[in-house]
Amino acid sequence: MSKKVAIIASNGGLFDAYKVFNIATAAAAADSKVAIFFTFEGLNLIHKQAYQQLPIPSGKEHFQEGFKQANIPSIVELVEVAQDMNVRLIACQMTMDVMNLQKEEFVENVEIGGAATFLHFAQDADVTLTF
Amino acid sequence: MSIHADFQLDCKGLACPMPIVRTKKAMDQLKPGQVIEVQATDVGSLADMKGWAQSTGNQYLGTKQEGETFIHYLRKANEDEAREETKHPHVVDNEEFVHALEQEGEQLYLIDVREPAEYAFGHIPSAISIPFGQLEDRIDEIPKDKTIFVICRTGTRSDLAAQQLSKHGLKAINIVPGMSQWTSETVQDQ
Repeated sequence: MSKKVAIIASNGGLFDAYKVFNIATAAAAADSKVAIFFTFEGLNLIHKQAYQQLPIPSGKEHFQEGFKQANIPSIVELVEVAQDMNVRLIACQMTMDVMNLQKEEFVENVEIGGAATFLHFAQDADVTLTF
Repeated sequence: MSIHADFQLDCKGLACPMPIVRTKKAMDQLKPGQVIEVQATDVGSLADMKGWAQSTGNQYLGTKQEGETFIHYLRKANEDEAREETKHPHVVDNEEFVHALEQEGEQLYLIDVREPAEYAFGHIPSAISIPFGQLEDRIDEIPKDKTIFVICRTGTRSDLAAQQLSKHGLKAINIVPGMSQWTSETVQDQ
């Protein structure tokens, strides 16, 4: 019986993105069923334009060099890997309305759902994480 | 030591989580029992491979280090491997076998039927390596006049091997549960 991992992504920075997608892809690689619920600024992580250049917290700009040197995959690549491994990406409808975002602005195969959609998945999850 | 692997995967230069992601994908293509060799430079891959193997039920065999490269060996587990189903009637447990080993030492004829990579990372000093898949072809190497002890990781493969030896008229005894619970001396090939 495979494990279930439920992740809530509610922040839109580069560091947040790595936390979310590294854990998600590693869990998927270990045969877990993974769903990520993107809400508020977390929607940036799957936004076609925004996710290509996510902000680094001010004062931490030097990390940029470190990411390159350590050959860390880009967020664009990690999203691709996640989708390839059947990680469910769920965009929060309510925050999309608030931020006036359309489904077309997100990467392919994003599901749109409300809190209940996520809760239905998370209800019997073995691991639940919030970033 | 040179270790046979059925599949090689190059993850050099890749950072977390890519070595694990690639390993998973490659492993999906393997048959149960096959061994994969994963080359990685990510230092974290050492702990990751072990953790990943534990959560997926696959078997982490060991890691060699060559310069900056870690070479991990993993074996794809059989779905029914955890079950200790024993059909061969002649069985000794690890403890009894250790006792016999102390009494008779090198006189005992012991075959380790695990994969060469498993054997290389730790085996009983006097054990002879004949992987289960090669047993039929190498049957003539085994003395007909001796009692043959057979060991594997959990007692499952060695059970099948013992049955196979019996069919050839040999007197075989399966050691259970085998190397997974072995606490006495082992050696590692250099």
